[in-house]
Amino acid sequence: MRPSWMLRLFAAFGLLVLLAPGALVLVVSFSAGDFLTFPPPGFSLRWYEALFTHAGLMSALATSALLAAAVSALALLVGAPAAYAIARLDFPGRGVLATLLMAPLLLPTLVLGLGLLLVLQPLGLVATWPGLMLGHSLVAIPFAVRIMTTAFAAVPKELEAAAWTLGATPLRAALRVTLPNAAPGAIAAGVLTFLVSFDETVISLFLVGPRLTTLPVEMFRYAERTTDPLIAALAMSLIVFALLMVAVVERLMGFTRAMGRD
Amino acid sequence: MSGAAPHLRLEGLTRHYGGAPAPAVDAVSLDLPRGALLALLGPSGCGKTTTLRMIAGLERPDGGRILVGGQDVTALPPHRRQMGVVFQSYALFPHMTAAGNAAFGLEMRGLGRAERARRAQAALEMVGLGALAGRRPRQLSGGQQQRVALARALAIEPELLLLDEPLSALDAKLREGVRDEIRALQQRLGTTTVFVTHDQTEALAMADLVAVMDAGRVEQLAPPEEIFERPATRFVATFVGRAARLAGRLEPGGVFRCGGGLALRSASGLAPGPAEAFLRPHRVRLLAPAEAPPPGFDNLLDATLARRTYTGEVIALETETAAGPVMAELHAGTDEAWRGLAPGAPLRLAFRAADLAVFPAP
Repeated sequence: MRPSWMLRLFAAFGLLVLLAPGALVLVVSFSAGDFLTFPPPGFSLRWYEALFTHAGLMSALATSALLAAAVSALALLVGAPAAYAIARLDFPGRGVLATLLMAPLLLPTLVLGLGLLLVLQPLGLVATWPGLMLGHSLVAIPFAVRIMTTAFAAVPKELEAAAWTLGATPLRAALRVTLPNAAPGAIAAGVLTFLVSFDETVISLFLVGPRLTTLPVEMFRYAERTTDPLIAALAMSLIVFALLMVAVVERLMGFTRAMGRD
Repeated sequence: MSGAAPHLRLEGLTRHYGGAPAPAVDAVSLDLPRGALLALLGPSGCGKTTTLRMIAGLERPDGGRILVGGQDVTALPPHRRQMGVVFQSYALFPHMTAAGNAAFGLEMRGLGRAERARRAQAALEMVGLGALAGRRPRQLSGGQQQRVALARALAIEPELLLLDEPLSALDAKLREGVRDEIRALQQRLGTTTVFVTHDQTEALAMADLVAVMDAGRVEQLAPPEEIFERPATRFVATFVGRAARLAGRLEPGGVFRCGGGLALRSASGLAPGPAEAFLRPHRVRLLAPAEAPPPGFDNLLDATLARRTYTGEVIALETETAAGPVMAELHAGTDEAWRGLAPGAPLRLAFRAADLAVFPAP
């Protein structure tokens, strides 16, 4: 059945409401004025220029990118074997393990952040790379496990059985046969965990310090202090970056399928 | 150990799935000589695939032993068994070329790159796919994929070749050709082979030995001719080939008494009691009105033609007798008598005592 024009109108309205703030930011990011006002007094690229020469934000960007890459790698290293075990092996407590690995997603990040602060403070790990990596991995690993479980489950078990009969040990069969066939899932998991870490704000607020800070936290602070369109230029840059990443995943395996919700 | 020792021996092999009331494989024992092809034949769920998977090591038996060349391999994991397996789904590695698939087992054995490539190519050429070595599985047709799977299994020069319904995914036209190719290749290489199928024609045409299975048990293990002509159990008589089934009683001396008080001779040595007799259509001879039965044809039946089905080569006749419905057949090419036959025509049927297979009533 074709959707009625009423439904289409309603959907269009919904989409408009969802996208309007983004469109607003897009327009403002090209402003020639000194303040976050709409409509802008004129158009220019000055705030993009200002953004890329802002030392504080650029340093935070480098930190965030590096941190996200490290978190993504760690999440895959931990998440892929766990996902393989959940998807392939039959052992007591499998359901419990799967639930435990998802649990961090159910807790408010505020609670996670506070908990991490209480644990990491005495250890001297606040505002350090290991501390941030640990905090971000806590929320990134569940995504990696979820996506990789779906990816492993989609590889026929017979392939592995065939590899065994040809002389491959279970480990070699998993690495040479199952893993390559789950590669699109691994790439999707890598990209999504990267974005999870890159966008993470609440946990970071608890764990950063003057020595080490991430981009979302710096943005937050910048927006608190100043009201110029630089923040709009930054927001636009990040949106474009995230869209590119999602496009990569979509291209590789379909975003919705990667999330295991088809 | 003598040269006549079986290459594969199953001793009381049993597999019981949790929750199932009866074992999937129930104390299966059999011997297979070196170089022979064994067909495990039976309906779906009879335990034939589970038996094959246990031989491959992909499933663990709950009881019994598997011996290969006298060695007990029951506890060995699949990667240490040297079994070439062709799966029903072929299970080709989609991320590798045909050559990569064929070389996989050699790579696992630590062979050098050049040696691997040479032997993989040789295996692909053996199945007639030498020219398509660079293709990936999805670029190959079903028949070609099947050959790659066979080449991959044979490349490791396996102790045993295990085939799980390898023809079932092919269309009917291809099937016969591939069947004969597999058989020819198997005989040329002398590879001891176990073949799972639900198709009796396949089993009879390819195998040296057929094990007919039902409900986890081997009903009969014999060469194809014997399976077909001398079924050992009621199940084999009904599952393999077509046969008319007559209900009655077995009396002393092998006399089978059936409907209408008719007494038929059989070669049965069973104890007297309620029984069922099976008679294959190709064993029934049609007699001309005044014709005397040939020597040895001890049983004579008066019949009425109920239906005649022309299938090209064979004319299938369904007749009514006092004993019940009996099937017969004529060859369109050599038997001219069928041309005049119409339903309702009286017929005289003759058959040997030995061709009436009698089993106790279920």
